[in-house]
Amino acid sequence: MEFFIRHKSIVVFVVFFLFCIISLSVQTSGMTLSLEGMGRAFVTPFQKGYNGIQQNIRMLWAGFTELGDVRDQLRKTRDKLQHYEAVAEELGEIKKENDRLRKLLDMQKRVQYDSIAAMIISKDPDNWFRTIVVNRGSADGVRVNMPVIAYVGEEKAVAGKVVEVRGSVSVIEPIISTSIKLGVMFQESRFPGLLSGYAANSNFAMIDYINKSAAINLGDVVVTSGQGGIFPQGMLVGKVIRSFVSESSPYQRAIVAPIVNYNQIEEVFIIKKEPDKELVELMGKVE
Amino acid sequence: MIFTYIFTAALLIVSLIMQAHTSFDVLRIAGIKPDLLFITIVYCGFSFGSFYGEVTGFIGGILHDAASSSPLGLLTLPKFVIGYVVGFFGRSVFKGTMITVFILLFLASLVKGIITLVLCYIFHEASITSVITVIFPEAFYNALLAPLLFFLFDKIFEKELEREGY
Repeated sequence: MEFFIRHKSIVVFVVFFLFCIISLSVQTSGMTLSLEGMGRAFVTPFQKGYNGIQQNIRMLWAGFTELGDVRDQLRKTRDKLQHYEAVAEELGEIKKENDRLRKLLDMQKRVQYDSIAAMIISKDPDNWFRTIVVNRGSADGVRVNMPVIAYVGEEKAVAGKVVEVRGSVSVIEPIISTSIKLGVMFQESRFPGLLSGYAANSNFAMIDYINKSAAINLGDVVVTSGQGGIFPQGMLVGKVIRSFVSESSPYQRAIVAPIVNYNQIEEVFIIKKEPDKELVELMGKVE
Repeated sequence: MIFTYIFTAALLIVSLIMQAHTSFDVLRIAGIKPDLLFITIVYCGFSFGSFYGEVTGFIGGILHDAASSSPLGLLTLPKFVIGYVVGFFGRSVFKGTMITVFILLFLASLVKGIITLVLCYIFHEASITSVITVIFPEAFYNALLAPLLFFLFDKIFEKELEREGY
C-alpha cells in the first residue's frame, strides 16, 4: 500500500493508460458507448445553458440595434413577396406541365418531405473530427440517418446526415467528414461517384470511383444521386474545383468545394425522410 | 487546495465551451482553432506537478472525447500523458517566461499531435497530411496564445502558487 501511495503518479498513469487503450480497443461495445453517452449528458446542459443565455442577450441587443434594419428588410421582403407571387403563378403552370410530361414519361412523382429547423449548439471541439450538435432530438422526431440541409443565401444544399440522436439533441456528420459516404453524381453528365471528406481539417470533399471516360470541368455542379437510401435525388452538394486521374487506379477523382461552409453554418434543416432500411442494413453489412 | 480544484474544473468547462460553441468560430484561423483545454492542462501540470497534470489531463480529455465524435480515449490519452510529462519537469526546471512558455506549448502540442495521429492510425483512420493541416498549425496557434493564457492563469491561481513556493 505504501508503494502505491509513494508512487501514486506512476500508478495513476498506468491505470489511465490501460483505461484508454482498453476503451479504444472495445470502442464499439456497449460499455464505451454508454460512457460517452454519460459524458455527453454531462457536457450538453452546459452547452445548452450557454447557448440559451447567448441567444437571449443577442435578441435583447437586437431589439435595440436592429429596428432600422428590420424596417428596411420588411420593405424589401414585401417587394420580394410581390415578385414571388407572380413567380408562383408562373410556377403553377410549369408544375402542371411538368406533371403532364412526367405522366407521359410514366415517371413517379418526386416526393416532398417535411423538415425540422434546428440551431447549431456546438461544433466538434477538436481539429481532428468534424461533427455538429443541434438542438433537436428524438423528441422532435429526428432519427438516425436523416439527411440534413442548409440554406446559403437562396441556395439549398446538403449539409450532412444525422449520426446520433438523444432526447433533445442530435449529432450531425457534415459532408466534409472523412467517415461519411455519400452517393453523388454530376448534374450535367450524370456520371456517379462516391463522396467523402478530403482530409482531416480540410473544408473540401472528394469524389472517388468516377468513370475515367467522364469529362469533368472546373465548376461542374455535383448533386446527390439518391443511391444509398438516405438522401433524395438531385440535392445540391457542391462544385468541382479540381479533378485528377491516376494511372494506377481505374477511376478518376474530383475535389469538391461544398456549397455549405462548415465554418459559417449556423442553422440547418433536418429532412424527415426515413432511410431506406434494406439499403442501410446492406451498407452496414458491407462496412 | 479546494479552490484550485474548483478553478481548474471551471477553466476546463469554459475552455471546452469556447472550443465547441459556434460563437467562438472567430478564433479559427484557416479552419484551425486553438486547443484551449490542452493549454489549461499543460498549465496545471507545469504549475502543480505531474500527478495534478495527469489527473487534469484525464478529466479534460474525457470531457473532450465526450463532446467530440472521437472514440473514447483517443483525445484523453495524449492529454494526460503530456500533463504528466510537463508536470514531471514543471516550474522547478523551466521558468515561466514568455519564450519558455511559447516553446513548451509548441513542443507539447507537437507531441500531442503525433500521439493522436498514431492512435488515429491504429484505432480510427489517419492521413499523414494531418501533420501539415492540423498538427503544425495547431501547435503554432497554441504556442502563440499560451503566454497570454499562462499570465491570466497565474493571476487566477496567484495564492495557490504562493503556497507552492513560486
